[in-house]
Amino acid sequence: MNVFSKVLVANRGEIAVRLVRALRELGISSIAAYSDADRGSLAVRLADEAAYVGPSPSSESYLRIDRIVDVAKRHGAQAIHPGYGFLSENAEFAEACAAAGIVFIGPPAEAIRKLGSKTAARQLAIAAGAPVVPGTERALSDWQEARAAADDLGYPVLLKAAAGGGGKGMRRVDRESDLKSALRDAASEAGRAFGNSEVYVEKLVEEPRHIEIQILGDHHGHLIHLGERECSIQRRHQKVIEECPSPLMGSHPELRERMGQAAVRVASAAGYANAGTVEFLVDRDANFYFLEVNTRLQVEHPVTELVTGLDLVEWQLKIAARERLTLRQSDITWRGSAIECRIYAEDPDHDFLPAPGRIVHLSEPSGPGVRLDSGIFEGWDVPLEYDPLLAKLAAWGPTREAAIRRLDRALSEYVLTGVRHNIAFFQEVLADAEFREGRLSTSFLDRFFERRKKTEADPEAEAAAALAIALSSSASSSPPAREMSRWLDSGREELLR
Amino acid sequence: MKRHVVVNGRSGTIEIEGSRLRYEREDGVVIEREFSLQGTSVLLNGRSYRVNRGAGKEVWVNGRLLSMEVFDPRDLRTGKGASANHGRQEIAASMPGKVIRVLVTAGDTVEEGQGLVVVEAMKMQNEMKSPKTGRVAEVRARLDATVGAGEILVIVE
Repeated sequence: MNVFSKVLVANRGEIAVRLVRALRELGISSIAAYSDADRGSLAVRLADEAAYVGPSPSSESYLRIDRIVDVAKRHGAQAIHPGYGFLSENAEFAEACAAAGIVFIGPPAEAIRKLGSKTAARQLAIAAGAPVVPGTERALSDWQEARAAADDLGYPVLLKAAAGGGGKGMRRVDRESDLKSALRDAASEAGRAFGNSEVYVEKLVEEPRHIEIQILGDHHGHLIHLGERECSIQRRHQKVIEECPSPLMGSHPELRERMGQAAVRVASAAGYANAGTVEFLVDRDANFYFLEVNTRLQVEHPVTELVTGLDLVEWQLKIAARERLTLRQSDITWRGSAIECRIYAEDPDHDFLPAPGRIVHLSEPSGPGVRLDSGIFEGWDVPLEYDPLLAKLAAWGPTREAAIRRLDRALSEYVLTGVRHNIAFFQEVLADAEFREGRLSTSFLDRFFERRKKTEADPEAEAAAALAIALSSSASSSPPAREMSRWLDSGREELLR
Repeated sequence: MKRHVVVNGRSGTIEIEGSRLRYEREDGVVIEREFSLQGTSVLLNGRSYRVNRGAGKEVWVNGRLLSMEVFDPRDLRTGKGASANHGRQEIAASMPGKVIRVLVTAGDTVEEGQGLVVVEAMKMQNEMKSPKTGRVAEVRARLDATVGAGEILVIVE
């Protein structure tokens, strides 16, 4: 394939590494965009070229359309891959690329615009015959309107950012007295996160599953689905564990095809092309409701790749180069089971608060059936300016049970010190009986915390730790630590020769 | 060799003689094992443990986090200063980040649970609240300043 010879990766962290890797495999030169905080990043180290795009705050670097397009031109990139987040769902950016004669690797700007506003996307879904959760079909203009809408729907309701994603600007409201402050908070959070403070209100579906459909389409009118991912395990409305197939498909074998067809209808109605994800809520009776479309590559795309055997990034590049999608719906098969967990620098014992810092020691898992998409290395300072996602660890197995055991094994190999993280927490979740049985919902983690047992410390493990510390500190306390001693020593040796 | 150990707030002692160790916790649990130590690898009667030090008191053992301090009892001359909790409360940042809002000034009276300072890191906002009803004695937090976890932001008395 010779679609492009040079592509700019306009993102950071693990996804920038994923994209640089795909480009290298395809023989395409990569340029990693970087901010001040990311000068030393793994993506910069792995890419063929690197381009400085501005200071650390993303509003001055990764979100600057002018700078991204400018460096793409100066470095001779024919296309830009936006990854996820940042400018990936920004229609203006897609248009700016086109105006500069650069291919935006993603859907047409027009499709982004149609689907980018959740309220517009809802209307489009209704027209395309996809079921939706009852709610306002446009952004709320003021608090009185919100109150009237919430009254109509009945509490509890959910406030959501019209331009949103990732749980930002989202608030559950149980009673009218909480509505005013929730609306204010949601609007201000949405404004900061997306530059658009519009908020709308929906009936809250209680204990739903979050199941999404991966779609893939070309610019010649051919669009298919690649099945579902279940992403019900979330904290603060952000996914932390994703899997394919959804355990629900075992008892509802026809559900994948019905949801897949609904997703394809919505995407077709928007004139969609390239990779995208149509998100649904699924209630206790396996009824599904259209939620929104993510017009980009999804964080959790590896589980689909593991089960379908397809490379989504490769297809994104081919499709962006106007090649035809040569896969028919009947070509898509799902083999075995894959589960992914998102390794974050955060403290699961303290409300998942972000915990930036320096990676002191790192030893990453590998072995059969394990896929690690990581953006870190020993000595890397996890910056506090960005989302604290460090890596995604996924495992494939012939059955869900096998995939769980393999993921647990891989987690047990992971050594990561210097920052707080959620690796041990995932091991607890994987051992949980309800998780094993596939009884999932978006409130899974809240319930999990209620039944979570305080893991009693193993005294033998404590003894092992105390031994290692006692002996290492007594050894290191005798000769005073010297900076760069090895360099000095070897230098002295040179001089003595 | 004998050392005091504090693990997750619980005291104990570890005695090391040749290749044998004896670990005793204040709750009476005793572990006696034959050991081998090489780098971060510890074998206790042949059972394998990986021990890695994190920041400060953090120690990771086979992927589990412990808070651990090990010290020579001979170094323990004086105790720590008495905790100054005469109704004076220091409100500290619970995570590293940037101060994006300072909601009070010195001399303000505050209610319990009232927001004092908002710290933001990685797009997550965290509002530090007053633990008591009282008067703001001091505001150390500066707008746009970067703060570390545990750094005192406000003092309420």
